Amino acid sequence: MRIKSGYFKKQLHVDLTKGSAERRELSDAFVGKYIGGRGFGAKLVWDNLKKHDFKIDPLGPENLLVVAPGPLTGVYLPASGKNSFVAISPATGLYGDSSMGGDFGVELRQTGIDVLSITGRAPELCVVFIDSSETTILPTPELKGKSCLEAEGMIKERLGTHAVHVATIGVAGENMVKFACVNADWSRNAGRTGIGAIMGSKNLKAIVVRGDKDLPVYDVMGLMAEADKAYKYLEEHKYFKLWQQEGLMNVIEYANRTGILPAYNFKDSVFPKYDQINGATMLDGYKIGDSACFSCPMCCSNICLVKHGKYTGTVVEGPEYETCAMLGSNLGIDNFAAILSATRLCDELGLDTISTGNIVGAVIEGYEKGILSLSDLDGSEVTWGDEDAILELIQRIADRQGIGDILADGSRRIIEKWPEMDKVILQVKGLEQSAYDCRPSISMALAYATSDIGAHHTRAWTIAKEMEEGPNWSDDEKVDTVIYHQKLRPLFDMLGVCRLPWIELGLNERHYANFYKYVTGKEASLEELLELSNNIYDLTRLMNTRLGVSRKDDSLPYKVWANPPLTGPNVGRVVDQEDFQKLLSLYYQKRGWDEDGIPPAGLEEKFAD
Amino acid sequence: MAKKLTVIPEQCSGCSICELVCAIKHFGVNNPKKAAIRVLTTYPHPVMRMPIVCSQCKVAACAQVCPVDALRWIDGVVQLDKGNCISCYKCVEACPFGAMYAHADCDLPIKCDMCGGDPECVKKCPKGALRLIPEAALGESRRLNNVLSYTQMKEIEFYEKGERKVIHYAEIGKEEL
Repeated sequence: MRIKSGYFKKQLHVDLTKGSAERRELSDAFVGKYIGGRGFGAKLVWDNLKKHDFKIDPLGPENLLVVAPGPLTGVYLPASGKNSFVAISPATGLYGDSSMGGDFGVELRQTGIDVLSITGRAPELCVVFIDSSETTILPTPELKGKSCLEAEGMIKERLGTHAVHVATIGVAGENMVKFACVNADWSRNAGRTGIGAIMGSKNLKAIVVRGDKDLPVYDVMGLMAEADKAYKYLEEHKYFKLWQQEGLMNVIEYANRTGILPAYNFKDSVFPKYDQINGATMLDGYKIGDSACFSCPMCCSNICLVKHGKYTGTVVEGPEYETCAMLGSNLGIDNFAAILSATRLCDELGLDTISTGNIVGAVIEGYEKGILSLSDLDGSEVTWGDEDAILELIQRIADRQGIGDILADGSRRIIEKWPEMDKVILQVKGLEQSAYDCRPSISMALAYATSDIGAHHTRAWTIAKEMEEGPNWSDDEKVDTVIYHQKLRPLFDMLGVCRLPWIELGLNERHYANFYKYVTGKEASLEELLELSNNIYDLTRLMNTRLGVSRKDDSLPYKVWANPPLTGPNVGRVVDQEDFQKLLSLYYQKRGWDEDGIPPAGLEEKFAD
Repeated sequence: MAKKLTVIPEQCSGCSICELVCAIKHFGVNNPKKAAIRVLTTYPHPVMRMPIVCSQCKVAACAQVCPVDALRWIDGVVQLDKGNCISCYKCVEACPFGAMYAHADCDLPIKCDMCGGDPECVKKCPKGALRLIPEAALGESRRLNNVLSYTQMKEIEFYEKGERKVIHYAEIGKEEL
């Protein structure tokens, strides 16, 4: 059955070197096969890699940056505000993507395009302004050195309207910090894999969108009836109110109880003062409002205000679990106001809070262990919970001052400079690990090791299931669950919707096949969609292996093998190297890749069109 | 009894579901830019999510500037006479709240018609930020909050089975309104 709706079938291609922008047609076959979001991104990045004979400098003008919502982005169903940024990552040198919630992707689609691709390098700092009829490249030297929030305000002032959505980089992006993020609507971030640095390398300060077109939906009333069922299910869920109130902050409590909360750079997996940085603390003294992504009833984002003490007046949207854990317990900070301040600082500078927390934690431990000397730290000591020194160090990273210049290049460069730091820093393939300790969960370890972008939980998050199932969970089930997650979770990114209604409140994933049907007019089962998503996983693997990845890279941070958590329910637990290799072999086998993790020859032809 | 659509901005999360369902109901298309209600967001100073929708003013600025008398207050709703409207958009510019809208695809200004008394946005708001209340009850929660800001008696203390309990006045009535 063919695609009848759901797409404008338009790609907007911007070449910043030439200063040109053109709208290109997308074929039915293309949109049918790659769906959207990360699917479009992977295909376009793959074509670009081939064009450059697999030699792409992630920060060179030739690296193609793809911004792609999906066919469900912006339509009436729970949490349809997602949008992916895809490129070759400067952190890993491999395939990279990061998705962002909020409204930016919806507005981008409403300009009448399905995907935006950007190549080249502008002669001076500029902003790309896209509206329903035209695309303009505006030179904006005045935005140099401006924070994300300031830049967004200045752009709106210059355009004379608040009715636009702005995705911008901060100083970190301009300085090509390899974990710089893209910030939209003041506080929505495409955090991971250093997309902000790519924009910086292209002299692209911001992408501004203003659209007003109807989003193509095949059967609006059918969609509405299906979506209303999903909304009703969510609103009647026993944890729905908790999600509205605490959002992801409720995970702190859970992670501490089960012993997977990073504390003191993953030296421990429980935090003694977790109750000073959890959801209850936030509700008690800081939260002033809710914030939701487009069309989402769960509004998991919180708006907080510091009312007392030295951070008085700090307003921030957040933190959520990852940020609170990585900038809080992981750095030994038990002052919630300081976490809010650090979060706001990262929003201003345009830094990924996960990588930032991870790297700062590693620096503190490195200094504690004597790997880094005081002179390496430019004479200013950083220790656990030292808020001022930590905030200062974050600023130095973005500014690339002193040690900040090395830290800004990410974990790979840090290990190159101080090889002993390999034992301290937690990263896979050059991407710093997110805030779930995988030592008690070998399936989560497998998920980190085989994630196509590095140690991030976005592809598979099996840790909760394994904590529930315990040792009864067979290897087969573990690998099957990891692979199922790696099919389903990226499918959400391809469709342009959020996965939280499914993973957190158990919304049946079969709804999404129906949503797809009502939007595109094409009947497809969930299994068929998962197959299309799986193809993209093969494609990103193919890309990574062509860029040099093999079994040796599907590994884990040193600590995961060697240093067990010191206290808590998982004290003494590490991942056994032999067990892991066995599991990895089983994983390759089930994926149809060889013992070295290489996909079969001939796979390339599948993506030749 | 006439009911009013009222907005409680403190409750709004900015999810735009109201915009979507409004546009789908009135135009049959998935386009929040065709809604008669929009959420205005500001950040960080002040932080605000403010749904902006017609107040159905009895002495309506939109009606006063209309050169062809196409806007009239009838049964609690300022109604647009589509046959008479000449699309000059004076009303859109005159509304002191900016609660009337225009869109390039539409021949007429976009205005809230209260969905015939049962607004879709009120039904679908997941936060209870949009409510339909009797006209006489308008301002009730503000009145209470305002009184609480200067009264001495912010709470009442009592003992139940030997245990001290406190009721905050601010909590009373929150459920109903």
